[in-house]
Amino acid sequence: MGDILVKGVAIEVDEDGFIVDPAVWSTDLVEVFAKDEGIEALTEQHWKVINYLRDYFKQYGIAPMIRKLCKDTGFSLKEIYELFPSGPAKGACKLAGLPKPTGCV
Amino acid sequence: MARNDFGPPDYRELIPPVIQKNYGQWKYHTIPRPGVLKHVSDTGDVLYSVRIASPRLVSSEYIRSISDIADTYCDGYLRFTTRNNAEFLVSDESKLEPLIKDLVAKGYMIGGGGHSISNVVHTQGWIHCKSAVTDASGIVKDVMDELHPYFTGEIKVPARLRIAVACCVNMCGACHCSDISIVGIHRTPPRVNDELLVGRCEIPTTIAACPTGAIRPNPKTKSVEINHEKCMMCANCTVVCPAIKIMDPVNDGVSIWVGGKVSNARTAPKFSRLAIPYLPNNPPRWPEVTNAVKHLVEVWAASAREGERMGEWIDRIGWERFFEKTGLPFTDKHIDDFTHATTTFRSTTQFRF
Ligand code: SF4
Ligand code: SF4
Repeated sequence: MGDILVKGVAIEVDEDGFIVDPAVWSTDLVEVFAKDEGIEALTEQHWKVINYLRDYFKQYGIAPMIRKLCKDTGFSLKEIYELFPSGPAKGACKLAGLPKPTGCV
Repeated sequence: MARNDFGPPDYRELIPPVIQKNYGQWKYHTIPRPGVLKHVSDTGDVLYSVRIASPRLVSSEYIRSISDIADTYCDGYLRFTTRNNAEFLVSDESKLEPLIKDLVAKGYMIGGGGHSISNVVHTQGWIHCKSAVTDASGIVKDVMDELHPYFTGEIKVPARLRIAVACCVNMCGACHCSDISIVGIHRTPPRVNDELLVGRCEIPTTIAACPTGAIRPNPKTKSVEINHEKCMMCANCTVVCPAIKIMDPVNDGVSIWVGGKVSNARTAPKFSRLAIPYLPNNPPRWPEVTNAVKHLVEVWAASAREGERMGEWIDRIGWERFFEKTGLPFTDKHIDDFTHATTTFRSTTQFRF
């Protein structure tokens, strides 16, 4: 556990850097996370993935399967990795403020 | 950017020259003494492998010390087996005896080949896994302390006997298919932390994780609730949802399973089946578990025919004789009650009183 600073406000994250309270998510937070994730500048493509993940989670209560993500956004897995170097789960889901992936990861 | 996607090193660059030269041309092998294998090739070349027990969980000092031994006697070559034993590969026969002497002097245990009880395939336990109901390394050390004469060949067994440990029913490793398996089990249903669950867990995933349909959403708390009558404490929900906890130091323990095998020799592969539903966690020596395993080994070894694995022996004598000979109580816990359970019931009048 620890805090990260977003525009001077401390936000609680777990040891993997995922936000603990989904209500604190903001676009400013995404900017801060992006730097840690090795993303130089957030592009429209990044936002397409992030918004898709947020909408999907809002509607179904789960993160989409990778195949669903690729199909619906039109990005191949390779392109997703180019956008989010640590991958769809550790990278994109974290930026989108989704719960940390569980199971035998 | 870091170099990635380059795969493991090519094994052909890491094997001794004698294996490179005779690859695919081995004629036969013998076991001149327990733990030592001799492979003879069509070309006449000979390779000895000396197998030692390893605790699997090892320090880099351990790796360095066995590497030093391999440097001295094996031109720097060694390998690990699929049961995590280490094997020294000797192509110069004059170095075989000095190697064995050195290993014995340094306290390494030679054995694990042929009809014996080789290393115990095991998991992470309390060393590293958040799902562990019992410990792996601890139990393995206790069981092998008790059974080491079977590893070294000092005490003979009718066939090979595989032991495996898994610290939860996820069964990482080989517990579902080993002659004797030790599996960690819970006996109390999980507790849901409603506050923590919101935002931490995917509710549909949590519901779908339950094999018995014991979980349903709780709209009032925006969380889930668990029907204790339906729950059989598998802990799968706790794996996908960190807000559900199941650990219970008092009631958690281990179960023991018997009769599994993976080889196709003589009979088809078999799953292991429940022999002892519950034994307590009793660290650091787990006396109840080690005694039970030793007892199972002794009863099997005294009664099985030459070459007969635990499961083959039980198939021949029947389960009622198995319970009679081992003196283990047969309980309601032994009767399968999951989805296709009927296939495990007896549908014949053939049985022994
Ligand atoms: S068997 Fe269970 S507790 Fe043990 S390492 Fe595997 S998942 Fe973890
Ligand atoms: S422990 Fe297993 S059976 Fe019980 S509720 Fe969780 S998933 Fe279902």
